[in-house]
Amino acid sequence: MVGDEYVSMIPAATSEVWSAEVNGQVREVLAPSNAILLDVLRDKAGCLGVKRGCDMGTCGCCTVMIDGQPRLSCLTMAQDAHGSSITTVEGLADGAHLAPIQQCFAEHGGSQCGFCTPGFLVASQALLNTNSNPSDAEIACAIEGNLCRCTGYQQIIESIQAAAAIHRGEAESARAASDPHPDPNPSGPEEPTMPPGHAR
Amino acid sequence: MSGGYKQQPGSGSGEVRKDGKRVAGKQSFGPPGSGGSRPEMKPRDLDFIPEMVGGNEKQPAGAHIHDRARTGTTVGKAIPLVDANAKVTGQAWYGDDVRLPNEIIGRIVRSPHHYAKVVSIDTSKAEALPGVIAVATGEDAPNKFGVLPVTKDEHAMAVEKVRHVGDLVACVAAVDEATAREAASLIEVEYEVLDSIHDMKKGLEDVDEPIHWRGKYHVGTTNVQKRVFQEFGDRSMVENPNAMYHGKWKYMGVNHGFTEPHAVVAHWDSNGRLQLYTPQQVPHYAHRALATVLDVPMHQINVIRTFVGGGFGGKSDPFPHEMCAAILSRKAGKPVRITFDREEVFWVNRGRHPSHIEVQMYADEEARISGFDIDALIDGGGFASFGHVTSYYNGVLATAPYELGSFHYTGARVWTNKPASGAMRGHGAVNTRCAVEVGLDDMSEQLGVDPIDLRLANLLPPHSRTISGFRITSNGMRQALQEVRKGSDWDNKFRKLPLGKGIGIGCGFFISGSGLPIHWDPNKFPHATVHIQVDMDGGVTVHTGAADIGQGSTTAVAQVVAEVLALPIEMIHVRSHESDTSPVDLGSYSSRVTFMNANAAIRAALEIKEKLLNAAWDTLGYHPDTLVLNDRRIYYKHDPAIGMSYLEALHKAQEDKGALISSGAYRSPPMGGVHKGAAAGLAPAYSFSAYVAEVEVDVETGIIKCTDVWAAHDCGKALNPLAVEGQIIGSCHMGLGQVLTEQMVYGRTGHLQNANLLDYKIPSVHEMPNVTPIIIESCDPEGPFGAKEAGEGPLLPILPAVVNAVYDAIGIRINDLPLTPDKVWAAIAKKMKVEGIDDPSELPVPRIDFSDLQEKLAKRAAEHEIRDKKRQRSEDTNAYVNGVLFGFNPDIPLEDQVEGWKSADKPQPEQLAELGLAGKAWLKQEQRHMGGEN
Amino acid sequence: MLMPPFELHRPGTVEEACKIAAELLEAGQEFDWIAGGTDLIPNYKWHINTKPHVISLSGIEGVSQISMNEIGCMARLHDIAQSDQVHPLISEAASKVASSLIRRNATLGGNLCLDTRCFWFNQTEEWRSSIDWCHKCDCGTGADCRVIPNQNELCVATYQGDIAPNLMVLDARVHLIGPNGERDMPITEFYQLDGMTRNVLQPGEFMLKVTLPDDVSDWTGAYRKLRLRDTWDFPEAGAAAAWRKGDRSTLRVATTALESIPRRHDTEVAESNGDVKSICDAVYKSTKPVNNTSLPPRYRRNMIKVLIKRACEE
Repeated sequence: MVGDEYVSMIPAATSEVWSAEVNGQVREVLAPSNAILLDVLRDKAGCLGVKRGCDMGTCGCCTVMIDGQPRLSCLTMAQDAHGSSITTVEGLADGAHLAPIQQCFAEHGGSQCGFCTPGFLVASQALLNTNSNPSDAEIACAIEGNLCRCTGYQQIIESIQAAAAIHRGEAESARAASDPHPDPNPSGPEEPTMPPGHAR
Repeated sequence: MSGGYKQQPGSGSGEVRKDGKRVAGKQSFGPPGSGGSRPEMKPRDLDFIPEMVGGNEKQPAGAHIHDRARTGTTVGKAIPLVDANAKVTGQAWYGDDVRLPNEIIGRIVRSPHHYAKVVSIDTSKAEALPGVIAVATGEDAPNKFGVLPVTKDEHAMAVEKVRHVGDLVACVAAVDEATAREAASLIEVEYEVLDSIHDMKKGLEDVDEPIHWRGKYHVGTTNVQKRVFQEFGDRSMVENPNAMYHGKWKYMGVNHGFTEPHAVVAHWDSNGRLQLYTPQQVPHYAHRALATVLDVPMHQINVIRTFVGGGFGGKSDPFPHEMCAAILSRKAGKPVRITFDREEVFWVNRGRHPSHIEVQMYADEEARISGFDIDALIDGGGFASFGHVTSYYNGVLATAPYELGSFHYTGARVWTNKPASGAMRGHGAVNTRCAVEVGLDDMSEQLGVDPIDLRLANLLPPHSRTISGFRITSNGMRQALQEVRKGSDWDNKFRKLPLGKGIGIGCGFFISGSGLPIHWDPNKFPHATVHIQVDMDGGVTVHTGAADIGQGSTTAVAQVVAEVLALPIEMIHVRSHESDTSPVDLGSYSSRVTFMNANAAIRAALEIKEKLLNAAWDTLGYHPDTLVLNDRRIYYKHDPAIGMSYLEALHKAQEDKGALISSGAYRSPPMGGVHKGAAAGLAPAYSFSAYVAEVEVDVETGIIKCTDVWAAHDCGKALNPLAVEGQIIGSCHMGLGQVLTEQMVYGRTGHLQNANLLDYKIPSVHEMPNVTPIIIESCDPEGPFGAKEAGEGPLLPILPAVVNAVYDAIGIRINDLPLTPDKVWAAIAKKMKVEGIDDPSELPVPRIDFSDLQEKLAKRAAEHEIRDKKRQRSEDTNAYVNGVLFGFNPDIPLEDQVEGWKSADKPQPEQLAELGLAGKAWLKQEQRHMGGEN
Repeated sequence: MLMPPFELHRPGTVEEACKIAAELLEAGQEFDWIAGGTDLIPNYKWHINTKPHVISLSGIEGVSQISMNEIGCMARLHDIAQSDQVHPLISEAASKVASSLIRRNATLGGNLCLDTRCFWFNQTEEWRSSIDWCHKCDCGTGADCRVIPNQNELCVATYQGDIAPNLMVLDARVHLIGPNGERDMPITEFYQLDGMTRNVLQPGEFMLKVTLPDDVSDWTGAYRKLRLRDTWDFPEAGAAAAWRKGDRSTLRVATTALESIPRRHDTEVAESNGDVKSICDAVYKSTKPVNNTSLPPRYRRNMIKVLIKRACEE
């Protein structure tokens, strides 16, 4: 029944050394010469935050920044990104501190199931890198390649606008408040305070 | 607000970098939970504590049993999802992100035929391929499974027949993906092709080879999987109607379109236990089905729910590929990972049923709704899935929010040779709701009344009973309608906009949790159980089996526990991934999680609270009734200086006992009627919603653009307004897809032609209207802090709102969803022919002159508003059953006071002649009545 | 999804590319060109007409120039859409191609040489096996056309590129290069009516650049695209119109996504004496789309009248 119609997958293409700066770290891996960037990032470079949704460029879950440009890693030959600088969702945070765009997606409901979130974050960070005062229409254009099935996009646009305000310096990053803070009196209260609304 | 990014805690002095930022991983942490001292202790937020227990929060819908548990900590506040940081940093692990050491890759061999007998399978070539480790076929797993115990009709792989293109035949596991794909193409299967069925109408006919055989319960030799007949009320009421709507509707199938394709990892560990990682909405049913198929006891399986990249009902069945992975892994002795291509997602489907729905609706001289006749034929595809329930939902979920004179429903679900339909957001209710709401719009036109007033004057009040016996508790329908009317400036727009612009209304009604759990018979086990454990570190670990699929159920659980214990939400750690550690929960379906699971969590948390307060009583000497829980501090109500920290109380409570442990459970109260199918649609609470949509129609191209939506949803109490608004807007998006662009297209040969995300048209950011979410809080008496569902109900109203708005814009009603431009254009062209005009810009636009009834209705609505307020606040506790509007006495059984009032679950012989399309399924007899044996 | 095995060649110059092509031709090896990859990669993932060799143009220097009179084959559509150097009609058309993310990869050359599309064809290998393959990708089975059965001579897959009709109405020329040297021709002569032949590219040839007439900036016009969503979707029908500013008698009209090639409608325009409604009717009569895209052919055919009318609006 099954004949020669099927394209043979074996022998696979020969492997070559592929290297790139992934999230600030130089990664050198062996990958098939005809590999797709998404496969290399997920299977070889350990960037499991880059998601595979449709495999044909219509969901945007696999968006990464290549030399600052948002690109669909499922439609990019790994060899075309050889030697480039790649930023995935894992590389957006500043050390242990969330980037404003990440903070805002969390706080404004920009992420529900979270599967499309890495792609949205990278695409919107790429926008904010070049334009920290985008209109809603410009945001829509920047994320038109990303599919979200949960949020209906509205809270995503709100998140990006909130992050843009932080980029412009108009809003405080919520970072300081949300960062872990030391408790000045770890052993408990010595002098109890009077909580409001419960005056004697 | 948010939990921040705390993955790298450590000790240190808060070293500062040159740029002023603190050095990562060096922050010093105080002992968590110590609390109680300035400035870390948060004052009580009185705006979030109800008036009746001393706060400032207004309670227009009355008091609630959980008011005493409110501490003003999190409930009602817009807080980020507790797992949001994992998601925005790429650390959330979904199905395909589970990579175990030594994993091998599985691949499924699928049927190329619509319907065929599997004559033989030759796996020898595949097995001989170097790198192939295991091959399995249907013979390896003969046991049947299915999500509903009454309709188990699936196998892990085809045992005798394949039932649709893409049905599973065999599977292979190999060292890598390339080898697995190659091996899959080397498996030789001999088929004997059978006549396939693609048109659901053909499913009603007798055939030689029905797709499944149900033995003595099989209906004739047809492909009818389930048939339903329900009749309530007095049928004579529909005679001589003042207005009548008759609509034949066609709905295409819709897929969930979640972004994460299915993926599963199975691993039999060194103790011979199966560890199965899967993005499941309902891990417990998968757990049961795995035990059945693999022939091992349930305790030998640990189902680990990964993060779920969108569910919407599409990840709630136990799936054959989960069985395949387990079987392959058992054979190979290694972890097996199977990840789907997008096309395979469409082949698994379980999306919304393609349907033919016919509705007839009647209104009497006082514009009361004297009857609904609904006939729904739904296309189930190759398997039963949730279809047994869907068959009921298509009718019974139309019995509210309106008071009806009579209700008549016939439904049938047939098997066809397509991927199986199943449960999808708004399960079963969406399509019928759309037809019914458009029918109301049409009748209001005939009656010369405003469609919103027609609705307002026919609503069931809070604390009432529907015609089919559902118990309505809280009901915010009226307020929802009033809010969207006001928000959208309805009165200045309806029937007043120029050609091409239109405004429309639609309402929704949905269950908040299924009253009868699927697997618990006879309803004696709880639907949800939550365990809480607090040890000396002060952190609260909550064990629950509720599956967070992005809707935020984990957050809801954490919130209610934090609220009761007055702890910062960062101190609540929810463990919900593993069946080994989670108590049984029935999963994320039928919008049950917030309602049931949070209720269980509150009970467990109250038990912990009691233990803490008792400990404080010992120390402080004040009775717990006089003690106040605040942020990490317990103190005497009348003298806050007398108190102790949370940790002190905790340690006191732990003396001689160890960790504090509690368990809470929720079970829905007994309710509902006794007729066949009475349990379908029964829920402890119902959500209500009303949307107004504004559209623009390009009369030359037929392209519809929805520009604005005012979306009011009664969720009882918004535990987390941010999440509720997210659900409302997201529902709009999904519903908009179904009404405008989304459809599963089966072409002339019956093949699914758009099994990818380019050709399956999910709306993009450009198609999204500006949605104004409006939260209505009716405070459900049994809901956790008054909450009801917000996940599915908000989807329903958008469809009819858009269809009605299109009518307002161009005067054309189209009963064939989705309203793709070609259909709209064809309808416009037809209308132009009828009107004898050449230019579509000359199309007549509907206008309205109100009749005398309008004033009557407005008056009735105003009276009802007063009635409803009293009932909502329990100031009026008299019984109210459907029929009071028609003058019946609620205290006497209706059948005793109305001649002709009846309740029937099968047709009388004299009715057989007048049955609708789906009703024709009743013309056949079951095998057992035909003398057939098996 | 995994790519099927092939050898990827990455020449650094045009000459090198031609040399690799010549060598492969000589060795009797089949190969494909890949530019941005947005068309080829999904097809390859689905095992559609895969070849053992693929030559990538992405490493070639100096073929992504963007100017008013010349655009290189590797100019990315995103850059064309953003550029104020190109004719506004071209940047408008480029900005309507697929999504902003896809445009970052997609190239002009790739868009012009886009493979024709058909819902019986653009499917996975497993899917196509279920219809026993089709004429355009018969895998050696001699399969029939699934759109118009009982003929396996013509492939009626639809060309769904957005840029070509716009270049047509601007009188662009395409420059091809291959082992046998360079040649150029009006873009109207580049396409050849058959869903499999598609265009005049000879084995080993690829499109180097597109040039536009010196006076192109004197021309104005518009492109109208029919699609269900304002992103991702290929045109279900598209119409471009251009005329010399202030001179409607120079009107040119071209359409796309109605048949296997884009087409300029000089005859229809000439016969209609510039009356837009007559042009619409004439083009309507002369085109017969088939049922192989998302929207039904009857609708697409009727919509071409609206699209042309709107493209011609001043």
